[in-house]
Amino acid sequence: MELFLQAAVNGVVLGLVYALIALGLSFIWGVMDVVNLAHAEFLMLSMYATYWLWALGRIEPALAVPIVLPLFFVFGWLTYRLLIRHILRASTAAQIFATFGLLFVLRYSAFAAFGPNVYGIWQQGLGGSVSILGTFIATARLVAAGVALAAFGVLWLFLQRTKPGKALQAAAQDRTVALALGIPVERMFALAWGIGISSVALAGIALSPFYQVSPTIGDAFLLIAFASVVLGGFGRVDGALVGGLAIGLLESILGTLISPTFKLLFVFGIFVLMLLFRPEGLLGQAR
Amino acid sequence: MSARESILRGRFWPIVATGVVLLALPFLVRDTFFLNAMILVFLFGAMAQGWNLIGGYAGQISFGHAVFFGVGAYAASMLLSRLALSPWVGAWVGAALSATVALAVGYPTFRLRRHFFALATIALGEIARISFLNWRFVGGAIGLYLPLEYRNRFGFLMWDSKRPYYLVALALFALATALVAVLDRNRVGTYLRAINQDEEAAEMLGIPARRYKLYAIALSAVVASLCGTVYALYVLYIDPYNVMAGRISLLVVVIALIGGRGTVWGPVLGAVFIVMLNEYMRSWLGGTGSGADFILFGLLIVLISVREPKGLVGLLQRRALPEALPIQGASDDQLPYAGPSRVMPPPDTFPDSDVLGTGEGILLRVSRLHKRFGGVHAVRDATLEVRHGEILGLIGPNGAGKSTLFECITGFLRPDAGEVRLGTARLDGLAPHRIAWRGVARTFQAMRIFPEISAWDNMMCAQEHRGEGLADASFISHLGPVTRQSRVLLETFGLWDMREFPAGALSYGQQKLLSIAMAVLRRPAVVLLDEPAAGVSPVLVTQIARHIRDLNASGVTFLVIEHNMEMIMNLAQRIAFMAEGQVVAIGSPEEIRQNESVLDLYYGR
Repeated sequence: MELFLQAAVNGVVLGLVYALIALGLSFIWGVMDVVNLAHAEFLMLSMYATYWLWALGRIEPALAVPIVLPLFFVFGWLTYRLLIRHILRASTAAQIFATFGLLFVLRYSAFAAFGPNVYGIWQQGLGGSVSILGTFIATARLVAAGVALAAFGVLWLFLQRTKPGKALQAAAQDRTVALALGIPVERMFALAWGIGISSVALAGIALSPFYQVSPTIGDAFLLIAFASVVLGGFGRVDGALVGGLAIGLLESILGTLISPTFKLLFVFGIFVLMLLFRPEGLLGQAR
Repeated sequence: MSARESILRGRFWPIVATGVVLLALPFLVRDTFFLNAMILVFLFGAMAQGWNLIGGYAGQISFGHAVFFGVGAYAASMLLSRLALSPWVGAWVGAALSATVALAVGYPTFRLRRHFFALATIALGEIARISFLNWRFVGGAIGLYLPLEYRNRFGFLMWDSKRPYYLVALALFALATALVAVLDRNRVGTYLRAINQDEEAAEMLGIPARRYKLYAIALSAVVASLCGTVYALYVLYIDPYNVMAGRISLLVVVIALIGGRGTVWGPVLGAVFIVMLNEYMRSWLGGTGSGADFILFGLLIVLISVREPKGLVGLLQRRALPEALPIQGASDDQLPYAGPSRVMPPPDTFPDSDVLGTGEGILLRVSRLHKRFGGVHAVRDATLEVRHGEILGLIGPNGAGKSTLFECITGFLRPDAGEVRLGTARLDGLAPHRIAWRGVARTFQAMRIFPEISAWDNMMCAQEHRGEGLADASFISHLGPVTRQSRVLLETFGLWDMREFPAGALSYGQQKLLSIAMAVLRRPAVVLLDEPAAGVSPVLVTQIARHIRDLNASGVTFLVIEHNMEMIMNLAQRIAFMAEGQVVAIGSPEEIRQNESVLDLYYGR
């Protein structure tokens, strides 16, 4: 029972971070119907950025946020302006290939720059652990989970309570009508990319204190993010949250109870089962 | 001389010459590094050809082909080391397993939007990799050494020297390319392209889209699996890192994509370019290379997706082609009219379509049909009867439910209640292509032809698909009666001179005519036209009306939605008036013109 409880608490914490990774993917998907296969590569790059800030400048991950976040916002904005803009009306295949090419470029640039070795932050301010319900959780993980929740809150407030947020939703529902109403759709889409990419960069910073980075970590995270999005329902911000939590819990509990070797297998298995039997997601409506 | 003949004549001797050079090469060159690179070119080139069938022609992108490669490698290796079974047999066991896995993934995901299949294949790749890494029986992470005592025997496909491997790999490459070339030229290639461009429109013509896609992915998996078997026999050691790696999945995608997907020669060019670059970069830069070549590939892929979807082949073709001929009549819709007598040959030249009921009987019967979208009751209790041999006009204000009714009749929407019958056969609940097989054809309000294939190939997609076997469609070209009938229709509609142009290059009016010609080609029992006169010039409206009348005179029944009152009142024998989801009135054009509720609801009196 104690083991189960510990696994559940770990799962919730992990799930919140997964949800934050899935958030940007789902958000961009929902706004402009583009599936970004390079999504997790941005996570990888932000983890490198956080690592090097720590390794070279002794800047704590928490303090890296104001440096890394704006950087990746611009990164996302530019990705939209330079690439995505040109494929918005292209075929599904062309869209898949465009972001797939981007994945290649980003991953192998990291390879060329940093080599295949694994890097990790091994000492930082948020040491120790906290006790919850008789279980223990590393402070860094708890903080990561808190950051993820806060990010969801901020995005929700932005979309519901601000004018640009509402304009963004309008642009997502119908580009042509939004354009006719004077909403700068191009700028809204670029903004969506900025938000999407900076949110996954935030997840990278949050992961850095307890997760090592190498050029190829993207694969697993991409699938986890997709699994979360599929589980929760496409293009929904709340779907990413529910899906991420579900995936985190599944991975943690099944990994603890059965075997940690196969924990990712469970996640991908659930993903495939969802695709087969309920592709619209847990929160989505039947077709 | 047709285009096909000129291609054949122009390409036959260069292909033979290349073949001779490739066969002679291992006897002339002793550089083992080069031979090794060539073997990899052939193996991954063959695999990319297989990928091309599903990812190129059918447009369903797989990022998990390494699974099929790996299954082929493991199956043959295990059968050889445990049971001493020859790889000649083991290869086919692996191929059968791979095809099964491919069908199991494709069957549920092909009905969803295309991203889902791509995602499922990524997940499949990871699942297979983790499973094989932890599966002791097949060697787990330690891998599997192939038994060496069978070397230098043709029955076991293992040798000491590179030369025989070179020849085996070349043979596989040639076979895979030949397979793609044959499918490309025959009906399957045309259908897959059409499905890729507009799956629903293909279904409407009676092409069973999912069946063709499953066929493509099964063949694709078989080819990849055979490549895996040969690769295992060549390297003599396999583990999940060298035969089930995501790297291999990505490599074949890159080869097909940069070479030119959906073309026969794309994967060939791509394999030479990518594998050679990859191998020589690695030898120059040492180790696994710095990844510089992959950055280059990535940039190329991005460029291709934005600028040149046909890759290297597209670039070469662009240079080789003279500038496109101006299309006759593309600027105006003044089309020649060939006269009514040639529109349709007498019915006996057609294969029997089981038109049920003859004479003045009821052909299509819609009874008490309901369709709801959330809170909107688009069709409520609609009842409509189309008589055999008539032109029935369907009019009504926007939002009356006319198009929704069409969607329900043709199976794209499932009605909530009520039934649709053609003769005595029930249509509701059937898949769209099965309804088409029963003898229902339609055009769409927003025109849906296949823009990137020629007008002629569009017609070929519109032939009768009921009872069309996969083997026939793969290996037999189009049938005589179909091509004759297509020619008659295209000539009558004034489109014959434009048959080789991509349909998307035709003018709007010509595309409209083409879509009508496609709908009537297989001589369906009833043709549903959704606003045939919308958006075309007055001259063409008269022509379209005349064509419909001529076709009707030769025995085709029509149900026509139209807002052009003048046209439909003159064309139709009877008019049905629909409002708020119901058929409110039906009768002769005269009766409808004077009907009180029509005047109230439609003309807003």
